[in-house]
Amino acid sequence: MKKALRHLIIYVLLILLALFMMGPFLWLLSVSLMPGRNVFANPPAILPTFISFDNYVQVWEFMDFPRYIINTVVITLLGVVFNIFLSCLTAYPLATFRFRGRNLVFTLLISTMIIPSATAMIVHYLTIQAFHLGNTFLGVVLPAAVSVFNIFLMRQTFLGIPTDIRDSGKMDGASEFRIFVQLVMPLVKPGVAVIGLLEVMAFWNNFLWPIVVLDDPQKYPLAAALTYLNGQFSYNFGWIAAGTMISVLPIIIVFLFTQKYYMEGIAGAIKG
Amino acid sequence: MYKAIRSESFAAWAFMAPGLLFLAVFTFWPIIYGIPLSLTDYSVITETHFVGLDNFTRAFQDHNFLISLWNSLVYVLVVPVIQIISILMAILVNSRIPGVKMFRAAYYIPVVTSMVAVALIWSWLLGNNGVVNYLLLKVGILSEQVSWLSTSSTALYVLMFITMWKGLGYYMMLYLAGLQGIPADLYEAARVDGAGPLRLIIHVTLPLLRPHILFCTVISVMGAVRVFDEVYILTKGGPGTSTLTSSVYIFQKGLEQFNFGYASALGLIVSVMVAALSVLVFRLNRRGGVNTY
Repeated sequence: MKKALRHLIIYVLLILLALFMMGPFLWLLSVSLMPGRNVFANPPAILPTFISFDNYVQVWEFMDFPRYIINTVVITLLGVVFNIFLSCLTAYPLATFRFRGRNLVFTLLISTMIIPSATAMIVHYLTIQAFHLGNTFLGVVLPAAVSVFNIFLMRQTFLGIPTDIRDSGKMDGASEFRIFVQLVMPLVKPGVAVIGLLEVMAFWNNFLWPIVVLDDPQKYPLAAALTYLNGQFSYNFGWIAAGTMISVLPIIIVFLFTQKYYMEGIAGAIKG
Repeated sequence: MYKAIRSESFAAWAFMAPGLLFLAVFTFWPIIYGIPLSLTDYSVITETHFVGLDNFTRAFQDHNFLISLWNSLVYVLVVPVIQIISILMAILVNSRIPGVKMFRAAYYIPVVTSMVAVALIWSWLLGNNGVVNYLLLKVGILSEQVSWLSTSSTALYVLMFITMWKGLGYYMMLYLAGLQGIPADLYEAARVDGAGPLRLIIHVTLPLLRPHILFCTVISVMGAVRVFDEVYILTKGGPGTSTLTSSVYIFQKGLEQFNFGYASALGLIVSVMVAALSVLVFRLNRRGGVNTY
């Protein structure tokens, strides 16, 4: 009986917290499904009187969503590929090789985490302009092409690979690069999935840097386009709500389907 | 043997070269280049001159900059609140009851959503005729509508609330990882000694969570000082200068007004302060006798 009561209390707390954390999203969903007049009701409408998908249809017709979605997907894919490629290559020797300068590299990497660079964005802007990459997707992606955090995460993963694997590859006369690609990489797929997911989220949601780099709003990713939509149609609540739902849903779905790996990755990061 | 190490060394650098090149250009270079830049009046419009420490003396006489530093400092008050609530959340979702994983995921959704979307949602909820005012009026906590984001006295706290709301799930997961690393027999032993739930938390959970608390505190202090997105989207520093945080001010000076030299100097000052603040957090924790990191 005592156990049942404890469970009841826990469930009540869990549900209250869920309302606090999810409530705003449920309300957004509800607003996006309300027909126009309903939205401006006073007292504010919390639940729609009848459900209509008009807002979605109209905002989809008004804004060139396919274009923004393609922009976002291209930026995200580029970002993910760069990050996986660069952080695996950098982390692998740090985890398994013995070489002079290893500690130096490691200290340098850690120091970047302690020194926050508020000026970074300004210098990035100048660098991207100097490379003539302004107004390009590459300009959006390159400053975040590799992160120290991902290197640490991958190093942690590579440390878990038995040394015998490399030795046996060497016995067979394979080059270091071949050992890496054919023997080691297949074993770290879960780690790769984690940094891939982290970067999908980061690039999908990025809005500020794209606005700084891209002069042409036609090249904006979804999150940036959303601020643009909000600026123009602040009076048309339902549209913006529908637009926001369209931008948020893909990433929530990705998260829900991959949460196991994703959360393990976040949890693993702190142990690194 | 010597030759083996040398070839391994060569291979190691060859592997790391592309990654280190990117880090050099986009992580180390901004830290290094910010320093000489801060000693000039570099802007796109006029010719660049070396101005020595002028930017720094100007900074400390710049009323708005000092306000922005103060606001950033106030913003750090969100850190202890986040830690307390997210630890409690972690303890709650660490219960072994059916369906608890679903709740974990639900609490995490604000973390994966873009700040743009989160900011938009809250700006409507907090509007004059918004749901928050409506509910608070209804239960009688408020007697009249409050324009939460356009009132100087509330705007900064509202932004802090939004930052907290979005971040809770992230810290909850980090603490949950910590909780799951605590051996169950420690709780068993304490329970045998007659400890109740509250004493279990104070005497078993919190001490063993210390490394996690340190880690989370440091990253959230850095996050709070650097806060940008929510402020920029929702208030742009207004009304007046009431939500002008240092990152927003640096952004305005640098990428809106193109005073790169001055903005770099401001950035440098803030960086030094953040570094000092994180050292302080580490020191405070060391005094407690924990040297895990």
